[in-house]
Amino acid sequence: MIYIETNSTDVFYNFAAEYYFAAIKPIDETVFLFWRTTPSLIIGKYQNTLEEIDNDYAIKHNITVARRMSGGGTMYIDMGGWQFTFIEKDKNGEIHFAEYLQPVIDALKELNIKAEFNGRNDLLIDGRKISGNSQYKLGDRTVHHGTLLFDNDIEQMVRATTVDEYKITSKSIKSVRERVTSIREHLEHDIDADEFKRLMVEHIMDGKSYKTYTISDEEKVILEKIADERFRPWEVVYGKNPKFDITNKKHFKGGTVEAKLNVNRGMITDCALYGDFFGLERVNELQEALVGCPYRKDDVIDVIKQHGLENMIHDVSAEELAELIVV
Amino acid sequence: MKKKIALPKLSDEMKSAVLCAWLKQEGEEYKKGEPIYEIETEKVISQVEAEEDGIMVHQLVEEGDEVSVGAELAEVE
Repeated sequence: MIYIETNSTDVFYNFAAEYYFAAIKPIDETVFLFWRTTPSLIIGKYQNTLEEIDNDYAIKHNITVARRMSGGGTMYIDMGGWQFTFIEKDKNGEIHFAEYLQPVIDALKELNIKAEFNGRNDLLIDGRKISGNSQYKLGDRTVHHGTLLFDNDIEQMVRATTVDEYKITSKSIKSVRERVTSIREHLEHDIDADEFKRLMVEHIMDGKSYKTYTISDEEKVILEKIADERFRPWEVVYGKNPKFDITNKKHFKGGTVEAKLNVNRGMITDCALYGDFFGLERVNELQEALVGCPYRKDDVIDVIKQHGLENMIHDVSAEELAELIVV
Repeated sequence: MKKKIALPKLSDEMKSAVLCAWLKQEGEEYKKGEPIYEIETEKVISQVEAEEDGIMVHQLVEEGDEVSVGAELAEVE
């Protein structure tokens, strides 16, 4: 096994490193990474951001929203927690979790922490979750990654994953909410997050002198490029939401307007607006203009303005109308 | 000759999976070893590769559908 330090707290850069060592520069030995990120909400590959996270809250609190390449539900993680990744040659396409989780369980045991599996490939202490795990398979490699909730802001975690109940129907993968706890609370002798990392890496790598690989300056440029192309774009984070239908209502001074939309691959594919206080002709014009528009507030405002429909409802601005359409 | 492809069992515990994405569309040709669809099961994303050269004739399930192990997914030739 070989340890690679990414020296980055950027979630997109770390995802790019995983991808790089799985798809572009696979290494014969198992690769092990142990990393953390600035506050991030990480959604599963086939999840819908609208059903999983409070995006406005995330923006307001500088929480990065990212979509990973593996399955499962949404995780919140910050600098108080860690993530670990194993990358290794695939075994005939079959799914294995235990062999990746056992070394983590054993390492926690060295710290006198008794962690156990549940049926959903999470690790628990006394029935409360401390680690969520997922995988993706790419070519002949398996990427297994998991979180370790060492000392996370659990209040922020709960708040950022509390979603307003919009009427959405979709076939997206839904998160399973579980009770969580911090590893730090269960330690006999308190240590900080850096010390926790050092001990975990040493236990998993089987000693203090382990093999490492240093990411070169040239490779750092490649990783940034992968992050820019595969992980950072709006089209990936929000544009890859599985197809969904959404209904939203908003009360304005003159009455209530209801918007019903179909969204596929981040684009509005159908739109209907209902309300009894605006002209039918202008509504038809807006409905037609919105088809093909990205499901993003700024783009919807642009469409409204381009068609001169800012005042189609008395005293309602383009921004307010866009907030009805894009929740 | 037309035949059906079915959902494989990737682990002892696997009973079903969500077919998340078709990577070959109806009418599209593919070579042995090329990924033809992507599934999610037990929080794992796997691309399933073609066992032989072929053409995707008719997809029997939609993206987002949950299917049981062994269920027919598509007609190929």
